[in-house]
Amino acid sequence: MKLALSTVYCPHRFSNLFRPSVFTALWSPICSSELSSYSPTYVKPQFHVPLFLRPPIYSAKLCDLRKWRDWAEGVASSIGSSFVQSDNGPDSSILCRELKWLIEDVVEDHSQFPQTGLENGDDDDMRVKMRANLEELYGLWKQRITERRPFQYIVGCEHWRDLVLSVQEGVLIPRPETELIVDFVCDVVSNNEDLKRGMWADLGTGSGAIAIGIGRVLENAGRVIATDLSPVAVSVAGYNVQRYCLKEKIEIKEGSWFEPLKDMEGRLAGLVSNPPYIPSKDISGLQAEVGRHEPRVALDGGIDGMDALFHLCDGAALFLKPGGFFAFETNGEQQCRTLVEYMENNRGGSLHNFEIRSDFAGIQRFVIGFHK
Amino acid sequence: MSIFLRRSLRSRLLSSNNFKLFLTNYFDSSQTINHRRHFSDNLFHSVCFRSTSLLTENRCYGYGYSHRQHHQSTCRRFFASEAAATAAQRSTSDGLTVEGILANNWNILDDNESDWKSHASAVAQSIHLIKRRLQWKKLKVRLDMLSVQLNKADLWDDPVHAGNISREHGTLMGKVKEVNALEQELLEHIDMIKLARDENDSELESESLKALRDMRKNAKEKELEALLAGEQDSCSCFIEVQAGAGGTESMDWAAMVMQMYKSWAHRRGYNVTVIDEMPGEIAGIKRATIKVDGEFAFGYAKAEVGVHRLVRISPFDSNKRRHTSFAAVAVIPILGDGSSRVQINESDLRIERFRSGGPGGQHANTTESAIRIIHIPTGITATCQNERSQHQNKASAMAVLKSRLDQLEMARQAQLNSQHTQSLTDITWGSQIRSYVLHPYRMVKDLRTNYEVSDPDSVLEGDIDGFILSYLSATLDKEDSDA
Repeated sequence: MKLALSTVYCPHRFSNLFRPSVFTALWSPICSSELSSYSPTYVKPQFHVPLFLRPPIYSAKLCDLRKWRDWAEGVASSIGSSFVQSDNGPDSSILCRELKWLIEDVVEDHSQFPQTGLENGDDDDMRVKMRANLEELYGLWKQRITERRPFQYIVGCEHWRDLVLSVQEGVLIPRPETELIVDFVCDVVSNNEDLKRGMWADLGTGSGAIAIGIGRVLENAGRVIATDLSPVAVSVAGYNVQRYCLKEKIEIKEGSWFEPLKDMEGRLAGLVSNPPYIPSKDISGLQAEVGRHEPRVALDGGIDGMDALFHLCDGAALFLKPGGFFAFETNGEQQCRTLVEYMENNRGGSLHNFEIRSDFAGIQRFVIGFHK
Repeated sequence: MSIFLRRSLRSRLLSSNNFKLFLTNYFDSSQTINHRRHFSDNLFHSVCFRSTSLLTENRCYGYGYSHRQHHQSTCRRFFASEAAATAAQRSTSDGLTVEGILANNWNILDDNESDWKSHASAVAQSIHLIKRRLQWKKLKVRLDMLSVQLNKADLWDDPVHAGNISREHGTLMGKVKEVNALEQELLEHIDMIKLARDENDSELESESLKALRDMRKNAKEKELEALLAGEQDSCSCFIEVQAGAGGTESMDWAAMVMQMYKSWAHRRGYNVTVIDEMPGEIAGIKRATIKVDGEFAFGYAKAEVGVHRLVRISPFDSNKRRHTSFAAVAVIPILGDGSSRVQINESDLRIERFRSGGPGGQHANTTESAIRIIHIPTGITATCQNERSQHQNKASAMAVLKSRLDQLEMARQAQLNSQHTQSLTDITWGSQIRSYVLHPYRMVKDLRTNYEVSDPDSVLEGDIDGFILSYLSATLDKEDSDA
């Protein structure tokens, strides 16, 4: 089942909000013309535009905005460390910083309020242009606190590496740990022209984070195929790829793992993935932001959490070309060891040079290696 | 003839072509008479000599900068002659030097008075002050030393070192040239006025007088610029504030000090970014680092290094007692890309993320991605937590680390006298620089300069330029007059 990007991805619903003239002013490093000239065909998954990219069609009095901010800050402070104690969730100071970022995203010209936030403006009646109205802001912050809706879904984006990626319900929010996979690829291709010009695959791409990260380090000839089972993920990833002008380089295909890569056996220069790896029994105890809001299909890795990882290892042996590189994220030390053991015993004939790498918190997080 | 002379002199005869033209025109002139010839011979000598020296310097620059590596031998010759040229004593046609003007002690009258001696004396004093602020003699010694190093054949074996040497040489040379040009301009104006008087040319005289008066203003501005002539003064910088002992009250004070710098930077049109901030449990900050972007940020902010003391009735004390709190301030210059002193090896770094516990990865949703980088050989660390991605936090922390290592290296390399600021850890709590008293009376007083202001609120709102300038001029001007 191959779907061309243009049929799945469809900005029809918000195209009337985004006239090209408005759009070009919104975000500079981006091919706005390509986005707005997209010819919509049919509407499939509903796509949410990130808050910071919405047109500033609302306005509020500075004093009202401050009132909302003070209310939201009060709510955040009242949380204290109760979320931390219940499920290792955010504490007040993290929530207050999120609030600051929410204001950054929602106020059109945030440079009016440097540093001190909203205190600088003397004129209470001054109107501030905003990308959402105050009512919506009250609702959003309530969702953040009472429903524990992830901050990234609230603002519709996640800052990841030097990218700002659109995310929404149905798509896994890319994790800071995963940034390192792109660093690994950087290191590998920096002294290997062949891999730098080759074909790479990011399986279970979600928001397209890793694929875009890699797409930006490969040479012009290099390509990335990103696959995902979820139509929402495919549409969000397509949007992000567009925003970074990588349409020529990155192809998004809908399908399960290697399914969309049928004709690529032995041809991949690299294979990367952050597959679901949480053991099924742990899903119910997850932090509320994750367990209640993020897609289970992107988290649940089966009984030991290893189902997808084993499948990826088998695929790596089959799809990588000689000298090809792979990097997978795992749940931690135990999965890393199990995975290396599995590959040594079962795929030792084709894969080698296995290495376990830690994330910045010191947890053994990644398994990397090469095809012989 | 006088009109012609005026023009030529004003263009300072910077190119030999102009100069030849001048001579040709002059000697072709049918109006030549004896006393003028006498004057012109004198003028000819001094002008001729000046223009050669400028030419030499110019040429030397051309080679020295565009073809450093390939023209070492060519350069050597020019550098040698340059020393001789800059050392030459400038004087007017009748032998008056800038030192002579100073020694004459002419009365300095108001700007509006049309007395050339008064203007000349004022300009000469400005030049004198500028030289003192630039530490003229030391500067010349250093310049000679750098010239010697630039002449060494093996200089470019170490390109980083060579780059630093030639950059510093260029900066110092620029300053010397600027002061020389000031002196020369002054003497030329005096020559002009004397000539005008000889010629009874009142138009020329008043024009020259006006030029001299303009120059007086201009030199006054240059006095200020000379305060910020240090090698790193034009850099952007990091400002760090750390609370002293005393719990919430001193953490609140640290936050007030940091706010003072943010407002000051804002007033000056600098861009401020919070890099790292460790909030206090109840109020204020334990420690924070901001980045201040803009020209001369370091030059000004370096005057703030040290311990700041606050006396007030603490709002955190239910018994309303008077408290004294301290906050330490450090300022680190951010050197441009090319001028960094240190090379950081990736393998010397340990990069850590604050671990919130738990298995991380897909288990956790967090917007907290603070990064700490430790430079293992020196033990120096840098932290950043205010960016929205881990990657950006790492980049910011790396920039802080780099500047700290640069600062360490600069201090090690030269012990560059008092112009270098200490890091936060080196600042002893005894090195108080300023006192802010809100109770029982209201005053802010700088303990180094005794400069004081009776309105603490305006100071805390960022109006600190008075303190900064008085400190800068005090430190530079008190040094033994070696101009």
